[in-house]
Amino acid sequence: MKDAKPLLEARQVFKGFFGNPVLKGVDIALFPGRVHALLGENGAGKSTLINLLSGALQPDDGTIAVDGQPVERLSPASARAAGIAVVQQELSLAGELSIAENIGLGAYPRRFGLIDYQALHKGVRQVCDMVGLTEPLAMPVASLALGRRQMVEIAKAMFRKPRVLILDEPTSSLSAHEAGILAGLIATLRDRGVGLLYISHRLNEVQALCSHVTVLKDGVVTADQSLAEIDGKGLVRLMVGRETGELFPPRPPACPGAIRISVEGFSAGLVRDAGFTARVGEIVGIGGLVGQGQEDLLLGLYGAIPAKAARAEIDGKPGLPGRVTEANAAGIVYVPADRKHEGLVLPHSIASNIILPSLGRLARGAFRDRSAETGLIADLAKKLTIKGDVARPVQALSGGNQQKVALAKWLPLDPSVFLLNDPTRGVDIETKREIYLMLRNFASEGRLVILASSDTPELVNLCDRVVVLREGRIAAELTGHAITEEAIVGAAMGVTERVADKEAVQ
Amino acid sequence: MSIVRTVFRNPPLLTFLLVALVWIVASLTLRGFGAYGHLRYLLELAAVIGIAAAGQTLVILMGGIDLSVGAVITVTAILVPLISPAWDPTGLAGVGLALLIAVGIGLLNGAGATYLRVPPIIMTLAMATFLQGLLVIVAGGSAVTVQNPAVILLGQARPLGVPAGVLLWIVVSAVVLLLIHRMPIGARFLALGANPLAARLSGVSITRNTLVLYALSGFFAGLAGILLLGMNRQGYVGIGDPYLLTSIAAVVLGGTSILGGRGTYAGTIPGAILLVTTTALITVVNASPGWRSIMFGTLILALLLISGREARR
Amino acid sequence: MSASASNWLYGAVQHRRNRGLGGLYVVVAAFLVLYAALFPGILSIGGFSKFTQNWFPLALVTMAQALLMLNGGITLAIGPLVSLGAVIAATTMGGAFGVPGGLLAVSIAGIAIGAITGVVVAHLRLPAIIVTLAGSFIIGGAALILLPRPGGFVPDWLSNALAGHTPIAFVVLVVIVGHWKLFLATPLGLGIYAAGDNPLGAFRSGVPIERVKIVSFALSGLLAALAGLFVAAQTGSGDPVIGTPFTLNSIAAAVLGGVGFIGGKGTMRGAICGSLLLSVMINVMFFLGFPPVAQYVAQGLIIVGAVAVPELLAQWRAGR
Repeated sequence: MKDAKPLLEARQVFKGFFGNPVLKGVDIALFPGRVHALLGENGAGKSTLINLLSGALQPDDGTIAVDGQPVERLSPASARAAGIAVVQQELSLAGELSIAENIGLGAYPRRFGLIDYQALHKGVRQVCDMVGLTEPLAMPVASLALGRRQMVEIAKAMFRKPRVLILDEPTSSLSAHEAGILAGLIATLRDRGVGLLYISHRLNEVQALCSHVTVLKDGVVTADQSLAEIDGKGLVRLMVGRETGELFPPRPPACPGAIRISVEGFSAGLVRDAGFTARVGEIVGIGGLVGQGQEDLLLGLYGAIPAKAARAEIDGKPGLPGRVTEANAAGIVYVPADRKHEGLVLPHSIASNIILPSLGRLARGAFRDRSAETGLIADLAKKLTIKGDVARPVQALSGGNQQKVALAKWLPLDPSVFLLNDPTRGVDIETKREIYLMLRNFASEGRLVILASSDTPELVNLCDRVVVLREGRIAAELTGHAITEEAIVGAAMGVTERVADKEAVQ
Repeated sequence: MSIVRTVFRNPPLLTFLLVALVWIVASLTLRGFGAYGHLRYLLELAAVIGIAAAGQTLVILMGGIDLSVGAVITVTAILVPLISPAWDPTGLAGVGLALLIAVGIGLLNGAGATYLRVPPIIMTLAMATFLQGLLVIVAGGSAVTVQNPAVILLGQARPLGVPAGVLLWIVVSAVVLLLIHRMPIGARFLALGANPLAARLSGVSITRNTLVLYALSGFFAGLAGILLLGMNRQGYVGIGDPYLLTSIAAVVLGGTSILGGRGTYAGTIPGAILLVTTTALITVVNASPGWRSIMFGTLILALLLISGREARR
Repeated sequence: MSASASNWLYGAVQHRRNRGLGGLYVVVAAFLVLYAALFPGILSIGGFSKFTQNWFPLALVTMAQALLMLNGGITLAIGPLVSLGAVIAATTMGGAFGVPGGLLAVSIAGIAIGAITGVVVAHLRLPAIIVTLAGSFIIGGAALILLPRPGGFVPDWLSNALAGHTPIAFVVLVVIVGHWKLFLATPLGLGIYAAGDNPLGAFRSGVPIERVKIVSFALSGLLAALAGLFVAAQTGSGDPVIGTPFTLNSIAAAVLGGVGFIGGKGTMRGAICGSLLLSVMINVMFFLGFPPVAQYVAQGLIIVGAVAVPELLAQWRAGR
């Protein structure tokens, strides 16, 4: 195996967007029969590297080589022809088409120019059996749950009989059972000599499945070595460049203030019959597996989706906000997880994004007060260390700075409740620290911070209290020392529910 | 070089320079084109398009489209003579009533788009179809002559040699430019147009702004209809039809993105003049209606290639 | 065994596409029954022929529109294309190559114009709505040049065949729909749905989304031009502005049939049902003695209702 040629490699590739370099001379080589892990923080450039390897993007500089031969302008079609298949994080499925038609898309078997449904059925059945998809093959993908769609995506990659298989966070929405099937599948493929690239945030998974690792940090390779030579702590150090401990501000002793939000029998979207109270000066975390209702809980409190509750009180006043403007008037603000689509008006300038919620307040009569606006923007930019010209479009900023803008725009309203959904997703480490510190300061200033997060260490180290959601219901409420990674994950998976409940201090 | 680049990055300026260029070249080559009376006539024609396109600009900035502009113009042009009460010597009551109806139609469009969640293109299209039928029922299909003194004054008066219609357009332009660039609601329209979800989560009310927006579009279309009636002295079914496409074309020629969120009325103004000039030149060429139509379409397409390209998404 | 399994897959996929169309089918059936009760003439061969002949061009332009809407686009050039098709038919059929030559000329013109539009939209990255708007002037102008006023020549036998007392038009429609089904069973055809639904995903899966777009514009052009040929046969001459109402009607029928504006949402069979529904409604209003203008009023209300009612129902369900 030592002499084997790499199936697919990137040599000194560079790629940037809107003038921001994302990859700065990255090398990676995938060998047959090896499961290669790609690690790195969000925003380190992993997704961009995958897009280059699969032909979805072209490198600005450097080459992509297949079987040792450099390829000019690799396209998704030519990548497929070369046996490269990708399981993307953002699903590539067409909702109205059936499972079978989705799995075959772009690689349909043909007879007389028509799709050979007979061969399609046979091939699709085979890969579906491998990944444990038992749903009728004619079922439209839109009617499947997220986890099952992910399995369809994996089956789709398998259908192409890949020589190289790239898996981008394939387990983030899978159940433990489905993840187990996938692990078995990966081992089978490896033994067949397929080259695999595995991207995941779950270190235990990576250590169980992979034998070699490449670590990316800020677009540069910081490690390319066998996994046997390094332990979990070492990996984290390579990824973040420092110990995680310093990331979080010290937690002050608990001194619960007045009740700010109190709901019982709260339902909104996926959330069913939830009840909790949140107090002034607290950071309340919301944890759980992906898509268990965390976002709906926040949106419901924010009045952005229809919500109802048996009893609800905000600042002593009964009732939930019926719409966003009411929530804002009550001092409740929301920072969404998906900055690009929900948080920011990307093509508009930093200034207009920051000023958007304050437009009405700053107006003098019917007209905008330009000098007041300019003053406010300059003030906030300084306070949050957003550097450079505020007339630049927000899409030119890095993820971390975009997140700062998404936060900054609410500060002039002096909100009493911050609802945040995964505020540090795709944010560099330095900004993460700033954000954590900011949230802690908000709390000590007498505000309430409610933070949904997919990052368990964040919940453990930052929050005063953690509510774990499972299938839209509150599976556990943890306080103080009971907030541990094991307790959160256990409650999220539904395995140690009772233990977690017992540990929870009222 | 950098000047060229600046111009190309600034569609309103580009369109304006294009108009200036066309006017200069045409004045030098075509006899009579550069005469004050002719240019004034072009501006007068452009005023109707420009005023109708004022509402369209706002709607497109917010990511919608108003296909009922032509129908609303027709409605006001036909209704003003019919509803102007005899007791009012100024004629302002009739004008006010007609504008009120136009605003009402716009509000209905907005209500359909927000409360019924009908896509604006369908809602306004259906509204146009609906009005077309209603008009024939109400007006009986024959042309009506306007007696309303206010309308005639608007269409015919020339204080200091400037047509009243052009003056009205100047006022409308000032109002719309202020609204887009100096008032909170303009910034909200733009934010909604670029990213409705993010705008909503930032506390911008979609419902209220959509209602206001389509009401404004109805108002400006109604105003254009009254001006057109004054210039024409007659209203008939179909009088507003040509203004639907030209209002959209003027907006897009001015560099406003058809997808919303980017643009300004400052581009629509030269866009409207450019359209009228183009049409006039095509008429001068003395081609058949078919060739005229082809030239018009090709020119719009060519101009679009300069100013209307969407960024790769 | 495997043959039956494959039929099962194809059949099941086809069956699933009816999902959510049940209500539409019921409404269409109810209107047809109502129509037959009011005008039993439809049950005779002659009556059925006339009925389907009125429906035929609308069905074709609706397919032309739905094809693009399913792919995430739209066209405002349907009407002029119908006119151009009619004019080309009326000016070429008297020529040396007769009816086959005319058919060929109309088809080539439709495909070529559509393909050019598609290239402009896909490769020059101009929005479809604006390109087809500008295109409608160019196409309409071309029709006016070819035939400045109604006239031309369509052989009587063709008129009699397509618009006489035999249901040939219906048979032709069935053949066209059959070809569409065949096309949809090709990778490129299914790519129309996939690229409309999730363009990025389809691109990453190796679907040539630009080629798909150009092909869908070309087919759309072909269908619209053929509708024009039929209209010319129906009226016995070419008229350079006869197609005008078809632009709106094609959008209305597609929307009635549940085709969405965001691409990938809806089905061609729904769109065809929508065109049938619209056609029946226009016929009913005509025979009930509604003035043509009242038809406009009703049509406007119907279009809004068709979009708003399902939306309100969904909202009501979500709110419960």
